[in-house]
Amino acid sequence: MESNTDNTSQNTETTSTWYRSAVKTAIVCAVFSLIVLTFFVINYIQFRIIDANWEIQSLNLKKEFGQNLDDEQLLAKIRQLDLEFRQRRIRRLDFSRKGGYLLLGSVVIMLIAIKSADTFKKKLPAPQVLGNKDDEQLIQAKFSRWAVAAGLAVLGSGALILAMGTDIDFGGTNAVISTSYPSFEQVSQNWPAFRGPEGNGIVDFNDIPDSWNGKSGDGILWKTKIPLHGNNSPVVWEDRVFLSGGDPNELKVFCFDSVSGKLLWTGEVESPHLKNEEEPFEVMEDTGFASPTLVTDGRRVYAIFVTGDIGAFDFNGKNIWTKSLGIPDSSYGYASSLAMYRNLVLIQFDQGGPEDGISKMIALDGLTGQTVWETKRPVPNSWSSPIVTKIGEQFQLITCGDPWVIAYDPAKGTELWRVNCLYGDVAPSAIYANGLVFVIEPDATLFAIRADGQGDVTKTHIAWENDEWGPNICSPVSNGELVFMLASEGLIACYKNSDGTKLYEQDLRENFMASPTLVGDKLYLLTEDGVMFIIQAGPEYKELTKCELGEKCYASPAFVDGRIYIRGLEHLYCIGNNASE
Amino acid sequence: MIRIGYIIIGIAVLCFSSGAASALERFPPPEFEGGYEFPSTTTPHPQQDIYEYMDTVVLLAALSLASYLVLRKRSRRAIFILMVFSLLYFGFWRKGCVCPIGATQNIVLSIFDHSYAVPVAVAFFFLLPLVFALFFGRVFCAAVCPLGAIQDLVLLRPVSVPSWLESGLRLFAYVYLAAAVLFAATGSAFLICRYDPFVAFFRLNGNLNVLIIGTCLLVISVFIGRPYCRFICPYGILLRQLSRLSKWRVTITPDECVQCRLCEDSCPYGAIRRPSVSWPETEYGRGKKRLAILLVLLPILIILCGWSGSGLRKVTSRMHPTVRLAERIYLEDTGKVEDTTDASLAFRATGKETEALYREALNIRANFGLGGWFFGGFVGLMIGLKLITVSIWRQRTDYEAGRASCLACGRCFKYCPMEHARLNKTKEALV
Repeated sequence: MESNTDNTSQNTETTSTWYRSAVKTAIVCAVFSLIVLTFFVINYIQFRIIDANWEIQSLNLKKEFGQNLDDEQLLAKIRQLDLEFRQRRIRRLDFSRKGGYLLLGSVVIMLIAIKSADTFKKKLPAPQVLGNKDDEQLIQAKFSRWAVAAGLAVLGSGALILAMGTDIDFGGTNAVISTSYPSFEQVSQNWPAFRGPEGNGIVDFNDIPDSWNGKSGDGILWKTKIPLHGNNSPVVWEDRVFLSGGDPNELKVFCFDSVSGKLLWTGEVESPHLKNEEEPFEVMEDTGFASPTLVTDGRRVYAIFVTGDIGAFDFNGKNIWTKSLGIPDSSYGYASSLAMYRNLVLIQFDQGGPEDGISKMIALDGLTGQTVWETKRPVPNSWSSPIVTKIGEQFQLITCGDPWVIAYDPAKGTELWRVNCLYGDVAPSAIYANGLVFVIEPDATLFAIRADGQGDVTKTHIAWENDEWGPNICSPVSNGELVFMLASEGLIACYKNSDGTKLYEQDLRENFMASPTLVGDKLYLLTEDGVMFIIQAGPEYKELTKCELGEKCYASPAFVDGRIYIRGLEHLYCIGNNASE
Repeated sequence: MIRIGYIIIGIAVLCFSSGAASALERFPPPEFEGGYEFPSTTTPHPQQDIYEYMDTVVLLAALSLASYLVLRKRSRRAIFILMVFSLLYFGFWRKGCVCPIGATQNIVLSIFDHSYAVPVAVAFFFLLPLVFALFFGRVFCAAVCPLGAIQDLVLLRPVSVPSWLESGLRLFAYVYLAAAVLFAATGSAFLICRYDPFVAFFRLNGNLNVLIIGTCLLVISVFIGRPYCRFICPYGILLRQLSRLSKWRVTITPDECVQCRLCEDSCPYGAIRRPSVSWPETEYGRGKKRLAILLVLLPILIILCGWSGSGLRKVTSRMHPTVRLAERIYLEDTGKVEDTTDASLAFRATGKETEALYREALNIRANFGLGGWFFGGFVGLMIGLKLITVSIWRQRTDYEAGRASCLACGRCFKYCPMEHARLNKTKEALV
């Protein structure tokens, strides 16, 4: 027993010795840590205050040197100061790093010592006197509810304080948006998109020339070489004419001076899909790299190419943004032109097969290129261009694809109405005239649809249809009473708007790629050979005149205030009334 | 023989030319006077990518080992050793990155920004602890998380936090998680990484403010067990919810609870739940009524908080650099500030239109408006659910480790006499 007691007391004494050692070690380490920490703080204060003064001094000297560049002494002083400043900073950083290791080491030892001390002097568990468990749970639950409610109050107060802070609205949201797009009147005075302001192929100017000759130069104001090939039509805003062109190496936007025809600037749209030697991008020759027509809002011009690359340029040729939508899966190559609504660039991005579900309508913010809305379209690839036209008090974005004609709200992308009536490779675009939307099923049928529907109006809103034939490329045009269709093979036909009765059909024995344009009571029809047929827009066929350009033409012309801009295969022509000039 | 000769000559020419190439600087160095010595050229370590995969393997191994130690071995000492290893490996050696807490933001960003691809290692770091929590409880918190480990190590004089206070304080974690998701989804900031309080210790370097926050948390950790894990950690919220569903989880006793109450104060994290009987009759009616009111209040709370969150878009969107820049440019242009910043000067140097910047900022704000509904709605939902859960009467017969709050540290094991009996039996069996 005695020896046992001795052993116990010996053990206790040993434990006590270890405990004391651990405590002392912890104290020493704590003191050491505090000393290191103090040095840390001093080092930091010196770094923030003293060194900052050095920096200011150095900056002042540099400013002084800027006014007296020949002062060698000052230069030497700056260099010396700079060197000293850097050396001090490196010393301080070195001190911090080493101090950090020391602090970490001492804290680790202190922790080990304290933990050891705890182990040597273990407390046994001593449960408290047991109270009423039910009461305790009730009280805890009550307090918990109050604590959560208090937390909610704190959060609410915090939110309120934050909400009361500085409010910056950039001069008002409406101010930011309203200055960034042109008014409807401004748009009407220009030719900002494919087939004019609303895409209907109607010219609001009366002084459009009706006589010129490309070979003799009569009526030709200027003619300028286009650097790169493309099938897109010219778009015009005040004194600027825009075109795009492309080849397997580059995609470009061109801006011409409408007065002199001078090429003002060339903007390049970088494409990740070109110059890929492993998988060279190929496109159908007839389509080319730049078939879609550009669009402009008078502030910027936007161009999309067959590769799905879009570029925005300001009127000085500066690239504002570019975006790649990826190469569209299009059997003949992407060709839909862009449309514009307020600040939105509208892209009919139809691609793939009917079951693929990859077609969509995209609206990009013209300023930033950011997607504002996107709507899936239940159609395969198509080559038709969207139009934005005013119907009643509302603007509608009307699109054609197989099989749907779909109208959207251009601001939000929500669908307004749809009609199931098209089939095949849809290329002609829709037009709107006198309450009716006219669409063409290629090689088959002309449909007139009332544009005031909602949802699927296939059974209720087709006013009439004429299934004798239909063009497969050119879009129709209408003066509100008559609607005209032009086939690529040269057949022109006229129908009554009201009931679709055919009034005449005439074979012009020419090939056409450009869509017809209505100028007052005349129709302008541009052949592939560059001959402009000017006929009366009446119930009977009557050829008024023919004007030759002398160059192949595939693009629809632009008509603005006494001028016609025609894109030939190689040149851009400006035709004007010499008298008015 | 001739062919071998050609090969040897070819190799020799290659070696010679590559040697000459490596000896050449791409650009000739400038000639300095005064004995300046050029620092040696450094190149990135090619093994950097391998580390990511190694980290994933180590994480998987650590989680597996932690699960074994917590559920089978039931050894606090072994858990502690693994915890120290994790602190040294994931914390001090790998500098606290990648960590599952921050990986949450990568995952969120990849969902909202399709141009952002999550590295495989990051995806594993996010998912593995959650999967383990679903099966084994919070074993990640127990012995693998370096942030938990550093707090656990400094816990010297534990003071218990009343459960009601804990309920209130934990709201911060929900707000933090919602904010981190909002800012990551809008591409504004990785909030969790920016304000990681302990990464500065792991790297022995960092932002002073964050260092101060970290130091304060460590000082608090001396008395209050793992304050970051319990009241702040956004990833802990996910682990808590999954841990509730875990198939296997920590039990204080390996056998039947004898209600000795020895374990009552063993948990520094307040995760031990005491036994309780059925709902007292006097409180039953009132409790039911209260519960009904809270259930009705829940959707109101969600809508109210969502509306508030959306209303704060002008404030929250300032976390986005574009909005900050746009506001700065606006203040400069309207003469409300006179000086310029590096960012505003850089923007003006690009020649971009301020209108475009404002538009972009407004778009971002609109995103924050929409995101704010989800942010606030989530916070409202969590607050409402918290109010409901604390109002539900829990009936327990034994002392239990809280399903969600138990960090599986294993401290309670040795307090249980049944555990000692189990260990003695094991020893006897071994003898």
